[in-house]
Amino acid sequence: MIDLTSPYLWYISRATGSVSLVLLTLVVVLGILTANRVGGKAVGRFEISELHRMVSMSAVIFIALHVVATVIDSYVPTGLISSVVPMTSSYRRIPVAVGAVALDLLIAVWVTSLAQEKMRNVTWRLIHWLSYPMYAAAVLHGFLTGSDSHQRWWLLLTGISCLVFLGALTWRWWQRPSRADGRTALSPLPGSGLSTQSTRRARQVDRPVPGRKRY
Amino acid sequence: MKKRNELLQLRVNPILCDGFGHCAELAPDLVILDEWGYPIFPDGPFSPGEKERIRSAHLAIRGCPRQALVLERLSVDTK
Amino acid sequence: MNSRILPRVLAGPGLLDRRPLTYAQHETNFASSFRTTNLLQELEKSGLTGRGGAAFPTYRKAQLIADQHSRVKYVVVNAMEGEPAAHKDHTLLATNPHLVLDGAAALATAVGARLVSVCIPREAAATINHVERAIHERQRRSNTGPKFEVQTPPGRYVAGEESALVHWLDDNETLPQFRVVRPHVLRIGRHPVLVDNAETHAHIGLIQRYGGDWFRDLGTADATGSTLVSVSGAIRNPAVLEVALGTPLHHILETAGADTSPQAILLGGYGGTWLHGDHVNTPYDNASLAKFGASVGAGVIMVLPKQGCGITETLRITKWMANESARQCGPCAFGLPAMAEDLAHISSASRDAVAAIQRLYGRGQAIEGRGACRHPDGVVRLVRSAFEVFQPDINRHAKGQACAAAATSRYAPVPRLASESDLVWE
Repeated sequence: MIDLTSPYLWYISRATGSVSLVLLTLVVVLGILTANRVGGKAVGRFEISELHRMVSMSAVIFIALHVVATVIDSYVPTGLISSVVPMTSSYRRIPVAVGAVALDLLIAVWVTSLAQEKMRNVTWRLIHWLSYPMYAAAVLHGFLTGSDSHQRWWLLLTGISCLVFLGALTWRWWQRPSRADGRTALSPLPGSGLSTQSTRRARQVDRPVPGRKRY
Repeated sequence: MKKRNELLQLRVNPILCDGFGHCAELAPDLVILDEWGYPIFPDGPFSPGEKERIRSAHLAIRGCPRQALVLERLSVDTK
Repeated sequence: MNSRILPRVLAGPGLLDRRPLTYAQHETNFASSFRTTNLLQELEKSGLTGRGGAAFPTYRKAQLIADQHSRVKYVVVNAMEGEPAAHKDHTLLATNPHLVLDGAAALATAVGARLVSVCIPREAAATINHVERAIHERQRRSNTGPKFEVQTPPGRYVAGEESALVHWLDDNETLPQFRVVRPHVLRIGRHPVLVDNAETHAHIGLIQRYGGDWFRDLGTADATGSTLVSVSGAIRNPAVLEVALGTPLHHILETAGADTSPQAILLGGYGGTWLHGDHVNTPYDNASLAKFGASVGAGVIMVLPKQGCGITETLRITKWMANESARQCGPCAFGLPAMAEDLAHISSASRDAVAAIQRLYGRGQAIEGRGACRHPDGVVRLVRSAFEVFQPDINRHAKGQACAAAATSRYAPVPRLASESDLVWE
């Protein structure tokens, strides 16, 4: 590979990393607002959904910059492979691995969302749920990589982002919409009660059960 | 190829629909919501000449988080 | 077999002996030297329509599947009988299972299917036993003809709906499917499936032996042949009878031993229609009943005596039907419980009763036609007919004067939920 290095690459890598975290937080919050059906009066629900899509595009761009800057900087011996395959980096194996996991999950979510119309909604939704562990992996990656993690501004930034994330998660659960509990609603969140009886999540089966008689 | 005696109707797959309500915002001329947030299409089919409605329909179809909407072509028997 | 005597599908010692006929008995019972070679033609001549509720012309359904270009096709015998007030299919299979299997085998051969699935709810152990024994008897006698098997889906109400049943066979969930185009060819994988009610197959078995003209010797010109009815409600012992279509209702009630001057009669099933007691002379066929918005449906006749409360019965049925919703579609999942709540207000003559009546009208219109299957439509139809038939009673309830029976009326056989686990969907 080209023997390219420059302090600026390193700064870009760290800066884009932090910005990505902020953008990811924003994306996840917007996604949660969409799922909980927020809006309809001052702001349209579809507007929140569109915002979610657009900010996620920005987040993907910044994450791409972050990965590229890190990979091409030969001062830090992480190659392209180790950015997607965990535990293959000779430099700071665990932190980079966690980042790779986050990146893998992000790619899965992103690609399936681009091809959303081509796949079953259930499949898309299951993979989209991976955004939560992806966020957690991204934050962990930031902590472990440690370039800025001793700086107060960084701790404050990440701390607030995490609080926002956890708060949004809690709110997501607490204010989940009562829904028709259909089979395609393969969400682990049960519906919050119909008027004459509560519904319970039944066995989620969208593939043939082994052992059942088949033709 | 568009046939002249063909009407378009925006329809929802009620199983996929989860009551998000984006369709009613994006195509208020085609969709209203019932008391539980699920779409009703009060008007009947419209002709392909109504460009505004077609545009609304496409916005609604693209904006549905569950991809439950479809623009159906109905052929009308001319007597 | 004489074309003008009854019973036909229930003929033989089975009912009296309370045990199903063996194959040998069956052959003696339905002796005939004639076996049609063109079943579809005989079906067309016979005018047989489906006995599961939809009354679709049987030969047209069969022809649609026969015309499909597929090496593999299936025939399904629908014995799910999800209607709590219906027992005719189970009675039929406990009496003349071989007749049902005959019809299924003949139909399978006629449309080009090699496998017949008899679908029985898994809770109906006795019926499963009868059918399995009958299948074994046939297998011992000959190896030719289509293969039979028994499938046992869970006995939910919508499990008997065609598309839900086929979906269960295909993918293990009793969920009605969204069908864009009708008539729709149901499929398991890529293979077309012909689903018919068990009683329909029994009639096909008779038509195969005695011909289409024999079949239409009973009944009316539009509603040919005989049909099984399940009579419940104001009757000492709920009964299953075989009647010629076109027989006046009061005659059926009399023969069954039910109240012959009832307040009202629920016809068709729990998604059916109330008929006012004044019209108890109506002939029992779709053309005559259509004048009152009613239909034969699944052969359910639930008799409400004068001392019952129609609103309470409608409430009980609606609550149960709301629970039986597959809950895939919002209007049904939310709308039916909402209608049940409104009915509860009216039944208990609460202060909200007048508003509830208004809401019910609006909700009925909003819910109708917006589900993937006809389940919500049936409930809306039932409630609308209740409003017509029980109008005076509803007016009194609205004024706060509930009738004496409002709290205790319990004529419609509605299963009670034993526990929360009954709500789990499979």
